[in-house]
Amino acid sequence: MFAYIVKRLISGAVVVVLISMGVFALFWFGPRNPALPLCNIDTSNRCRPAILQAYEHNMGFDDSVVHQYGLWAKGVVVGRSMALGTESHKCPAPCLGIDYRTKLPVWKELTTKFPATLSLALGASLMYLVLGVGVGVLAARRRGTWIDKSLVTGSLLLSSIPFYLVALLASLWFTISLGLFPSTGYHPITHNPAKWFAGLILPWLVLGIWGSTSYTRFSRGSMVESLGEDYIRTAKAKGLPARKVVFKHALRAAMVPVVTIFGLDFATLLAGTIFAERIFGIEGIGKWGLDAVTVKNLPVVSTTVLVASVAVVASNLLVDLIYSVLDPRVRLT
Amino acid sequence: MSHQLEQLEPELVNDERPVSATREITGRSPLRIAFGRLLQDKVAMVSLAIVIFFAVIAIFAPLIASALHVNLNTQSTCEVTDCNAASYGYGLPLKGPPMHGFDIHHPFGIAPQNGDDNLAYWLYGARNSLFIATMSTVISTAIGLTLGLIAGYVGGIVDRSISFVTDLFLAVPYILAALSLAPILDERFAIHPALQAKVTFWSLIGILSVLGWMYLARLMRGEVLSLREREYVEAARLVGMPTRRILVREILPNLVAPIVVAISLGLPAYVTAEAGLAFLGIGIVGKPSWGQTIDQATNWWQRYPLYLWEPVIGIVLLVVALNLLGDSIRDALDPKTRR
Repeated sequence: MFAYIVKRLISGAVVVVLISMGVFALFWFGPRNPALPLCNIDTSNRCRPAILQAYEHNMGFDDSVVHQYGLWAKGVVVGRSMALGTESHKCPAPCLGIDYRTKLPVWKELTTKFPATLSLALGASLMYLVLGVGVGVLAARRRGTWIDKSLVTGSLLLSSIPFYLVALLASLWFTISLGLFPSTGYHPITHNPAKWFAGLILPWLVLGIWGSTSYTRFSRGSMVESLGEDYIRTAKAKGLPARKVVFKHALRAAMVPVVTIFGLDFATLLAGTIFAERIFGIEGIGKWGLDAVTVKNLPVVSTTVLVASVAVVASNLLVDLIYSVLDPRVRLT
Repeated sequence: MSHQLEQLEPELVNDERPVSATREITGRSPLRIAFGRLLQDKVAMVSLAIVIFFAVIAIFAPLIASALHVNLNTQSTCEVTDCNAASYGYGLPLKGPPMHGFDIHHPFGIAPQNGDDNLAYWLYGARNSLFIATMSTVISTAIGLTLGLIAGYVGGIVDRSISFVTDLFLAVPYILAALSLAPILDERFAIHPALQAKVTFWSLIGILSVLGWMYLARLMRGEVLSLREREYVEAARLVGMPTRRILVREILPNLVAPIVVAISLGLPAYVTAEAGLAFLGIGIVGKPSWGQTIDQATNWWQRYPLYLWEPVIGIVLLVVALNLLGDSIRDALDPKTRR
């Protein structure tokens, strides 16, 4: 068990380092001149070659990429002072760069955006897990009836429609045209919990209902299977009430694969969060990254990409580890 | 074969379709059987009709546009939209919906503010969407198939390195790749709009294919791992058949079903991704896309809802039809997964 965990952790760390190298190289070699976007921002698009050259030199873009990656990696661990244009900024660990516009460390800004994204993602995943499993169990218990058929067909149809269209139409209808929901957005829970809830309830519902469709199908299938097991017949035969049979005996066995899929679905949740933040105007990491694209605020974009990829790797790792506890056979591979 | 017919029998009874007494029981390949099953599926046939409709639009978009006398070139903006900043209809078109009746010269109306013809943009949006989706499907299937076959058949260090690369790519969601490439391509090519349109178009196909092959590769690897131990593969190896021939002639034919399923489920995913990225502003630039129109139309929702509905209905119809068709194909190829 211990050896397996160490092995998985090492391979996860290697993947993270490779991704950071990839992102660094992309933002180093990709642009015509990596210093130009900053120069354009600082001079309101009147960047002159002399300024650009000074920028390039100060920021180390005329240095070798390997050496600069080394400096960058060191900065992530211990912090550094980072040149930005002609001035130098302090960038405490973990230093991921300096925002081209606000001149603040990107990590610091990221932490202020994080609660919004976390609130959205946690609320939504809770909702789709509960809703998906609930509907799936209902459909499995009423298997073959019209309830089952309409639930399955409905979830299939809903999941066929792209998420962003569902979210966009829900946003336009329910907040603008009908006014059924308060306007969406993020308000810190510490300031006003009621406002926090009101601003996020529609995004949660939309992400939750749309996201629950795949869980409905998984948990229905899993539940149908476990309801057919011998021990369920035994439980029924010894006179246990139906509710206890379903929720205590069948559901427990049916949940194992669903939990795995929940963890592996992290990338879908991430994409859903980015769309939801954009559509519902929630000031989270996704919207931060998207807004940075238009002004070519490269450090913000690269940080968003890096952090999100690391989160995906971490969630996959976590699922593997949890699964190895649930199912010891996994450890052998 | 007889095994599959046995599986088919109870279903036909359930569906209360007459089982003809003189049903042919010989000389039909599994694919023929699946195809026959697909033809009986009403949902699949309706979906197929919708998909063909969009395919025709995509292929003949320039012809249809010129037949209907619409084009992508915008007239002088103030000739077709209200340029009077003081009036209520500021920015809205002077002809056609939403302020005026149907206009035969612009059947789908005119875009507010910039005065583009909606039908022309809709037709070319369908064309770009389906072209990107098809290209990405073809390329990602080719990559996934090749790597999966090699990893599964060769095994050892090759298998381990391919599996590692597969896992590595699985950690990068396409949306992040598009997000990181968008500002870079913009910085590099914004000074040449025509070149930028081409580059963003092909780099999107690149992103979708390079980040879309992993599931098929894993699936293929797993299937090949079990297929290569079968007796007939061993026999082929013993008589000295070259590896390439074994892969293509002995193993590949057994993988047709999962490949067809992967293709049919890949297409709608790519159509969705293309429009979604364009909607976020990190998709194709300088060429019409339904996603871009949706992004622009969102601000006009209250005064000009039709402008938003046109691309939305286009995407929903196409994606739902492709998805349902894909599900039907999967069911037809493997009756065990039937809903």
